[in-house]
Amino acid sequence: MLFHTWPFAVFFLIVYLIYLALKETRFRLLWLLASSYFFYGWFNPLYVVLIFYSSLVDYTVAARMEKSNHRKMWLSVSIINNITLLSFFKYGGFVTDNINNLMSFVNIPYAIPTPGWLLPVGISFYVFQSMSYTIDFYRGNVERERSFIRYATFVSLFPRLLAGPIERAKNLLPQLDKTTKFSSQDITDGLSLFVVGLFKKIALADYLALYVDKVYTAPEQFQSPALILATFLFAWQIYFDFSGYTDMARGVARIMGFRLMLNFNNPYLATSLGDFWGRWHISLSSWFKDYVYIPLGGNRKGTFNTYRNMFLTMVISGLWHGAAWTFILWGAIHAFGRFLTREMERTTFYREKVPTLVKQLFVFTLVTFAWIFFRAENIGDAWIIITRIFSSGWANPSCPILALALVFAVWLYEYVYESRIRWLLELRAVRIGIVVLMIFYLMVFAPSSEQGFIYLQF
Amino acid sequence: MDIHKHSNVKKEYQVPFGSNTIRLSGFEWILVAILCSALFFLAPVLWGSVEKFETGSDYRLPYDLGYDYWLYNRYCRRACSEYETLVVGDSVIWGHYVSKDNTLSSDLNENIGQDQFANLGVDGFHPAALLGLLKYYGRDISNKNVIVHLNPLWMSSQKHDLQTEKEFRFNHPKLVSQFTPNIPCYKASFSRKVSIVIERYIPFLSWTSHLKMAYFENMDLSMWTTEHPYKNPLTAILSRFLASEDENLQENVSWAEKGIAKQDFDCVELETSIQWRFFRQTVELLRARDNQVFVLVGPFNEHMLKTDSFNIYQEMKREIETWLWQNNVAYYIPPPLPSEFYRDASHPIAEGYAMLAKQLSENQSFRSSMIP
Repeated sequence: MLFHTWPFAVFFLIVYLIYLALKETRFRLLWLLASSYFFYGWFNPLYVVLIFYSSLVDYTVAARMEKSNHRKMWLSVSIINNITLLSFFKYGGFVTDNINNLMSFVNIPYAIPTPGWLLPVGISFYVFQSMSYTIDFYRGNVERERSFIRYATFVSLFPRLLAGPIERAKNLLPQLDKTTKFSSQDITDGLSLFVVGLFKKIALADYLALYVDKVYTAPEQFQSPALILATFLFAWQIYFDFSGYTDMARGVARIMGFRLMLNFNNPYLATSLGDFWGRWHISLSSWFKDYVYIPLGGNRKGTFNTYRNMFLTMVISGLWHGAAWTFILWGAIHAFGRFLTREMERTTFYREKVPTLVKQLFVFTLVTFAWIFFRAENIGDAWIIITRIFSSGWANPSCPILALALVFAVWLYEYVYESRIRWLLELRAVRIGIVVLMIFYLMVFAPSSEQGFIYLQF
Repeated sequence: MDIHKHSNVKKEYQVPFGSNTIRLSGFEWILVAILCSALFFLAPVLWGSVEKFETGSDYRLPYDLGYDYWLYNRYCRRACSEYETLVVGDSVIWGHYVSKDNTLSSDLNENIGQDQFANLGVDGFHPAALLGLLKYYGRDISNKNVIVHLNPLWMSSQKHDLQTEKEFRFNHPKLVSQFTPNIPCYKASFSRKVSIVIERYIPFLSWTSHLKMAYFENMDLSMWTTEHPYKNPLTAILSRFLASEDENLQENVSWAEKGIAKQDFDCVELETSIQWRFFRQTVELLRARDNQVFVLVGPFNEHMLKTDSFNIYQEMKREIETWLWQNNVAYYIPPPLPSEFYRDASHPIAEGYAMLAKQLSENQSFRSSMIP
């Protein structure tokens, strides 16, 4: 049940109408929780058991922590439980595959059976959200949540359940704490977010995917221009796909009166890798900053330790995305990119003489290069793509002009948005015109297939 | 960046609205709704007035636009205003193996010396689909003479009759009943079924399907531009002319010459037949719209049937005739055409159509009900 499908439209209509009827009663949270579990169970009813278990453990841990002198031990219970849950489902195959490869390399005639279970959708997101609550409670940043229903709703709230944003307890729990009072502006804001997200997903991401998938499925059959363009388009595809999902999630939540955090902020206008991570998947990057980078020491203990901490954080972030060496390399490339742009920013020349547009293009190129590892099926494919980009011929890439034109239009929009002539985009006629155009385009030209979201696999 | 303020949310929980300025107020959304409604209503109408669509004598819809129900609706409206009698049915009426001037409606026009019969047949319109087509896209057919063709082929096996539990792809799933009555072999997703039902009531949506089918090789724009990366979509729209095209389907060769052997048909019982039930509903629908209905049954290629199947088929014909007679529906069940006039189990070749038209023109019931 994805946001851009009819089942979700029917589901949301029913849930919302009953939610409106119950919003000032004590059944409001119970209804939200039941709806969220139904939403999650639609994918697989067993998932509900998993999310209930995860919520129950962290809720209990916080309760025990409050009364215990061994707060650290209880925090460890929470962290170990969450990491184990994630590892069991997400990294089991990766670990056994690598052990088997190693044993084969040293001629040990034994192979550990590879686990065959599927990764429960959204687990990486809600496990991180739940874990952040116990850490924040341990640190004294949030109060303990007394109601299990409220806590379970915080973990499972359906608009953000599948792929975030990874909310913090101090943002979302208070919103669940009171009887929701929301205005008509919440509904119009929610609609605005939803329509933009829908357009990004259906008209842009799914469109670009056609070309990207064609090239990346068999990279050895394509030459340099096609591989460059497919990588370029993938950079935009994943942005439209994930930020489109987030916009829709925030829109649905906003219509119900909840304000989820901003997750993307025109990331391809970043002027350094640090800036990029302040604009891309903000809820995850801030999570890693607060719960990994800073506890490791952050930038407090000299240049070497700072870079070591950055490197570890980025590699772990890569591993969070998927159990494969491609993701680890992707994280490592970003780490080196951060070192590089950080050092460059320290020079007066780069800071003051290099035009912003050049910095943006440089960062975009770095990020796009890293996407090769993110998108490739395996390291071998990534290597084929990189070598062929630099060594193969210049055959006609057969890349749709319309796709490139749409990407350029979005880039131009974002560029103007961050420029001094932003007021142009704020004119009523322009805003209304863009929304009408988006809706018309969606209705007339959008693909009829329903493609899933890239980030649901994480 | 806009910061949303709300009484429930303390200062530290204030959340930026978004990364762009597309944020509309209630009033602005009302304006958007009005503009979109106007576009949705006007676009198909305006398109219909500028799109080249010349029908002329013996017109039939282009073969590759058989799934274009918006165009069918448009042609239906035109046929209703220009012709006395509409001939509806599947590829037997459309004239699968003959040119457009050798179809049944064309031969009937020739026999009476004027353009009275319009060919509204389309490939693959089995009774379950025909009912949906007339219900949702043939609303203009009222107070007309309508010849409805019943092709017994659609009841010649459980599969043709859509009775199998196992899912399989059949013609025109968008036209069949989506929820009730249930069609056992039709197992589209809930989402797909809802989309189809909505499309039936919103001309804008069937118009968008028309654009895809007529101009983009039945692909959406994104797929089409991926297949033709450097082509201009506007050029594609301006290049096509929706004239009746005689695709290379003509074959004036009999089934025996093609080497088709006699066959056993596992005909379903009429009482339990899904297609027969939908056919009856089609007749009732047309009559409820004050049309004068005439049913033409077959002529099925009985020469192709083995003995057992032949006997079962005769029984089926008798039951069909009984129902038509009991319900005061004008009908004609022609004798089988000569064997060499069939291309397969149900399609006549040009000579077959000519003979059938002649038989019809001489039939008293047909003359009194269909020829003013």
